[in-house]
Amino acid sequence: MGFFSVLGDFFQILKHTFRQVFKRPFTYFYPFEDREYPERTRGRHIHVRKSCTACAQCVRICPVVAIRMDKEDKKYEKDCALYFDYTRCVFCGLCVQACKFEALFHTPVVDMSEGDREDLIYGPEKIETLDREPLKWRGRRFR
Amino acid sequence: MLQFDFFAWLAGIPEWIYGIIQWIYGIVSFIFYWVYDLFRWIWATIFLPSNFMFLFRAIIFPGLIFVVMALIWAVWFTRKLWGRIQDRRGPVHLGKYGGLQLFADAIKLIAKETIIPDNARRWMFRFLPGLLLVVVLLPFAFIPWDLEYWFIADLSVSLVLVFAFLTAVPVISLLAGWVSGSKYSLIGGFRAANNQFAAEIPLIISTIGPALLAGSLSLMGIAAAQSSIWFAVLLPINLATFLVAAIASVGIFPFDAPVADSEIIFGWRTEFTGIHFTLTYFAEFAEQMLYSALIVTLFLGGPIGPLTGPLAGPVNFVLKFLITFFFFVLVSSSFQRLRQDQIVHYCWKYLLPLALLNIILIMLAIVYIPGIAALLPLGGG
Amino acid sequence: MSPDILEDAMELWFGPQHVSAHGWATKLTLVGDYVVECDPNAGYFHRSAEKVLEYKNFRQGALILERMCMLEAFLAEYPYVAAVEKIAEIEVPERAKVMRTIMMEMSRLHSIQFWWGQFNAELGFFTMALWPWVDREYSLDAFEELTGSRHTVSYSTPGGVKYDFTEKSMKQLNRALDRFEDRLPKFRDMQMGSPTFRARTENIGLYDVKQGLKWGLSGPPMKACGIPMDLRKDDPDPNLAYDMVDWEVPITENPEHPGQSDALDRMEQRFAEAETACEIIKQLIPQIPEGPIIDPKARGKANRLPEGEAYARVEGTRGITTLWLKTQDKAQTAYRAKIRGPCIASYYALKDLVPGSKFADFIVIFGSLDPYPGWWDR
Repeated sequence: MGFFSVLGDFFQILKHTFRQVFKRPFTYFYPFEDREYPERTRGRHIHVRKSCTACAQCVRICPVVAIRMDKEDKKYEKDCALYFDYTRCVFCGLCVQACKFEALFHTPVVDMSEGDREDLIYGPEKIETLDREPLKWRGRRFR
Repeated sequence: MLQFDFFAWLAGIPEWIYGIIQWIYGIVSFIFYWVYDLFRWIWATIFLPSNFMFLFRAIIFPGLIFVVMALIWAVWFTRKLWGRIQDRRGPVHLGKYGGLQLFADAIKLIAKETIIPDNARRWMFRFLPGLLLVVVLLPFAFIPWDLEYWFIADLSVSLVLVFAFLTAVPVISLLAGWVSGSKYSLIGGFRAANNQFAAEIPLIISTIGPALLAGSLSLMGIAAAQSSIWFAVLLPINLATFLVAAIASVGIFPFDAPVADSEIIFGWRTEFTGIHFTLTYFAEFAEQMLYSALIVTLFLGGPIGPLTGPLAGPVNFVLKFLITFFFFVLVSSSFQRLRQDQIVHYCWKYLLPLALLNIILIMLAIVYIPGIAALLPLGGG
Repeated sequence: MSPDILEDAMELWFGPQHVSAHGWATKLTLVGDYVVECDPNAGYFHRSAEKVLEYKNFRQGALILERMCMLEAFLAEYPYVAAVEKIAEIEVPERAKVMRTIMMEMSRLHSIQFWWGQFNAELGFFTMALWPWVDREYSLDAFEELTGSRHTVSYSTPGGVKYDFTEKSMKQLNRALDRFEDRLPKFRDMQMGSPTFRARTENIGLYDVKQGLKWGLSGPPMKACGIPMDLRKDDPDPNLAYDMVDWEVPITENPEHPGQSDALDRMEQRFAEAETACEIIKQLIPQIPEGPIIDPKARGKANRLPEGEAYARVEGTRGITTLWLKTQDKAQTAYRAKIRGPCIASYYALKDLVPGSKFADFIVIFGSLDPYPGWWDR
């Protein structure tokens, strides 16, 4: 009978949804809890000034012109200061691959919202330091 | 010959003054007695113990404030349960388990700018959402929260009256869609009317069963008639058809063609913003609650239940109400939306014959199976 | 259609501000509840990607392509990479081939999971919209573990791939596949077993093979008609490893209307596609050969390309994605690139497909063809 099989289908679906009510939800309290991000996460960059040679490969490869360098600003012998414009950056990872001297890395810090657009342009001081532990920095591991 | 008699005039002055005094006294005493009667009337209506308790019931406990609190709870419960079913958490941040989220939402919505479209009929646009909420809240006066004391009104035809009120809802939806001055709203309004056209007849036919068995058209009478057996046992198909038709009549998932957000943006509510939207949103939940309460009254024995004590009736009722509302939400989050012509098709082709079938079956059972009639107030057996 | 019917017709713009019209607008003419005319309009999502490609060098270009369609980012960027490899005559290592294939099928799987939820949301069933999206989170976690990004993976580069598999990313990949296979029977119950879903989709948006070929449809909308047209089998790419796997092209044949497909068939077809993708990955994972993931000379070769033109295509989730690339001698950037997304065909198919159906079914037909505005507005 078509009618009774359709009725059976209805009850099957209701059974599935009813069971779901008593299961633990998948989501977590994001701003207070966070998962661990993988090591390869392409988050904000960190610039290791000591090994930088000011070769400008990162500036050349950047597809969105998010990196600007200032060659005058030297801290060590042949390094330069980098300015990262995170209003433009698409986190493609090309600059990190282009760097031959292990001077530019991604960090797993991905929440970098600011109240002001100007604050998203990271100057040399900001791009060289991390204010948080890179792998686990906020809340506890939830999943 | 009229002559002016000075002394007679002089002798009449005291009488005249007396008359004026009497006149003033009349006015003062009128005002005094009017105020006195007013106070007495207020006293009699409000503070006289019996009247005070009636007003208390009408306004506070099973009445308006209780219903509004239950409404707030229902919104929270629906959101939380939908969240659970959909593998998320629902509101969490405000209050314990997000209980205060609705207040935050309501404050936000009320504080919003009220935008009225140019094409809208302004006064109707402002008036209809409030009217909708009032019309949906009024039938709660006839819900038998308790058989003894904690109920508001007992009319001999309250079942009919409840449906008379609820018939106004799609009319208001249609008008709201019409006066909004938007094509999407208009389509949504007509779909709301279509939904009611589809669902109302099965809905009312389903209620014939309990009314017939109880021999009463009053919700109180129907609830009282289930003291020995709940009608859900005798009329299970009617319960199911009533549930489905009620969901279709409210117009929530899966019968949400009137407000189908992927087809017509928000149906007849598209143009409502701010406070107007809040009112229509509440009205939807109030209608769901009303239908849940009707299911409890008609099929699940109303306030009759296992608990005993001073407040046993309302507590029993509310417990059954919670379970019914849970199923309301569960069914409404388990199926894909039906097209509006399919709603009419299924409601008329399946729900209506099924509802009638159960009534015929139960009538045959009363006649041929001994013992059933004895459970009902019809007597005999 | 006589003119007196059209007298009380209502014109309705479906989009661009409509909630389910994300970047597109279609003008519908309604008579009563029926659509008599459907006029799809492209152009609300235009990002001039083809022009931008003329200014980006060959390593940057793939980034533009993967933003064409975020939902199948890897599949979208592959034709560009393949075209560059063809012009520059770059050899791809074996390991990279297999890894590309795995990522491709993974991309297909997560794209189908997303479409699945989206289609159910369009049908007003948000439970079934969010359940596949939970599974999709697992797929995205696998992407993130491997490439560091969830959507725009930018994984392949001329000459190979950028990141190697690690133990952890392998684990995440298996976890995503297991999760998908775990929940599949339940989803079948919820989806194909749902009477309301069958009622909404049966005989809706019905077309046959001839019409589909006329409109230029490809991929699942055509395979749902029962013809196994699939580039993975018909025109195997030498840089991909589909020949290492034993698999069949998934097709759906409905005995009720052979050679035709309705929305229900297209849903069934998506199920089959996802299962096939899962199966291919499962077969490929033990077969990953050792070796380098990128040709060391490729980077130098891709910097300056010789004169030439190449035409690359890939079987995407929504159909065949093609790209034509022309370069001048010693070029750093493309001279001209032309992208042809699969969805331009399925979007303009609505013009013939929708008239005559009910207004409420418009979104069902639209959703079942799975057009993504990024593909028709480039």
